[in-house]
Amino acid sequence: MNAPDRYEAILLAPGENKIDVEVDTRLPSAAIFTFHKEDHTLGNMLRQRLLKTAHVIFAAYRVPHPLTPEFQLRVQTDGEITPRQAVINASQALIKDLGILSREFTKEYELRKAANAANQQQQQNTVE
Amino acid sequence: MDYEMDLEPTGPQVTVREAEPYRVDFRLTAVDLAFANSLRRTILAEVPTLALDLIEIESNTSVLPDEFLAHRLGMIPLNSYNCDQDLDYTRDCDCEDHCVRCSVTLSLHARCGSGIMSVYARDLIVVGERINDKIGDPVTTDPENKGPLICKLRKGQEVKMTCLAKKGTAKEHAKWAPTAAVGFEYDPNNNLRHVDYWYEQDAAKEWPVSENAAWEPAANPDQPFDYDAEPNCFYFDVESIGNLEPDMIIQQGIVSLQRKLATTVSVLLGEGEDGHGGAAEDAEMMGANDPDAYEPPEGIDGNMTAYGNGAASAWGASAQTPYGATPYGQSSYGF
Repeated sequence: MNAPDRYEAILLAPGENKIDVEVDTRLPSAAIFTFHKEDHTLGNMLRQRLLKTAHVIFAAYRVPHPLTPEFQLRVQTDGEITPRQAVINASQALIKDLGILSREFTKEYELRKAANAANQQQQQNTVE
Repeated sequence: MDYEMDLEPTGPQVTVREAEPYRVDFRLTAVDLAFANSLRRTILAEVPTLALDLIEIESNTSVLPDEFLAHRLGMIPLNSYNCDQDLDYTRDCDCEDHCVRCSVTLSLHARCGSGIMSVYARDLIVVGERINDKIGDPVTTDPENKGPLICKLRKGQEVKMTCLAKKGTAKEHAKWAPTAAVGFEYDPNNNLRHVDYWYEQDAAKEWPVSENAAWEPAANPDQPFDYDAEPNCFYFDVESIGNLEPDMIIQQGIVSLQRKLATTVSVLLGEGEDGHGGAAEDAEMMGANDPDAYEPPEGIDGNMTAYGNGAASAWGASAQTPYGATPYGQSSYGF
């Protein structure tokens, strides 16, 4: 059996960085971020938010091979901010949005539960 | 950095359509496809729950081999109440092998006196201490509260085992999945034409629209096709196995996404603080100090001068944003 251990898809190997930053010297203000032990879940979300972030002129990601748990994110900016800062900005904006989502969901879920309880009460009353 | 305000002034919107004990059906709007899909993916694979992971078999005289039983036991849903906060992963725990903070111990002992005996999940008993008073109980949803059938015993047969339940995620093994299914749909009327239907005579007749189609209008066929339109309304139907409440599954999914992003932020900021990478690398990234770098012709800005000002203001500004400063413990980035 040569199957890799399951945890290898989740845990960083000893000495492995979470993110390797490689400067793309072919163009100004461009960098390739290699995220280890991450997949489309983070890659696609970051990519789409980066495209909407100010000063970013290029953002794309790829998973080099489906069996290796890593993805590469290439970012180019217009020079106002560094690619590193662009990724940080995008991540912080997403964290904020997720926070809003969490609050909205809690609010709506409690409302729905209250409405369900009220409906049940009403039905019981009509039966009696 | 006021771009966030321009993009989404209100942020994601949620409408919960149905909330049942094991199910929640909601509509998520004002987000993009990648965001919604990441939420779906993380709910499926990265919400931590509790499942039996290590089985010590003392006696098994049933007709099923040990590994068969161990596999069946692993699949049994266990109550994972507050699992993410209360419990540690065994691999991260300080203890020698396992302890109350990273595991729950259950015992299973059944011996058949006569006839045929069925062993159910309810026969799994939590032994010893546990971190809260719900965690580790087998989930039973049937009217008699028996839970799933583990095995059947004939007269004189016995199973006796100690089982260790650990925290994990479905990315490692599907037995840790919190959901039985996550329904996900967008654009039920196919206004965006992301789907190209196969049909015999008429696609509209042969492909009935889903119930979600009542929640948004179909495009007028006389109107020209809007090829710039993007999906922004998503229909989720999350079905829980019973180990976590459906709303907790969503909240945990959000938390796990936030953790991923927070790690990204702290790693990218942290590298700057260590001295290697960081400022020097950033300068290189901007095309400065690099003989091979692209040099813009004179008169076009975006050159080194722009870098100096732009970078300084960018770092400075981000230090004042609430997420840059407080939660990850960095108030200055050492530049």
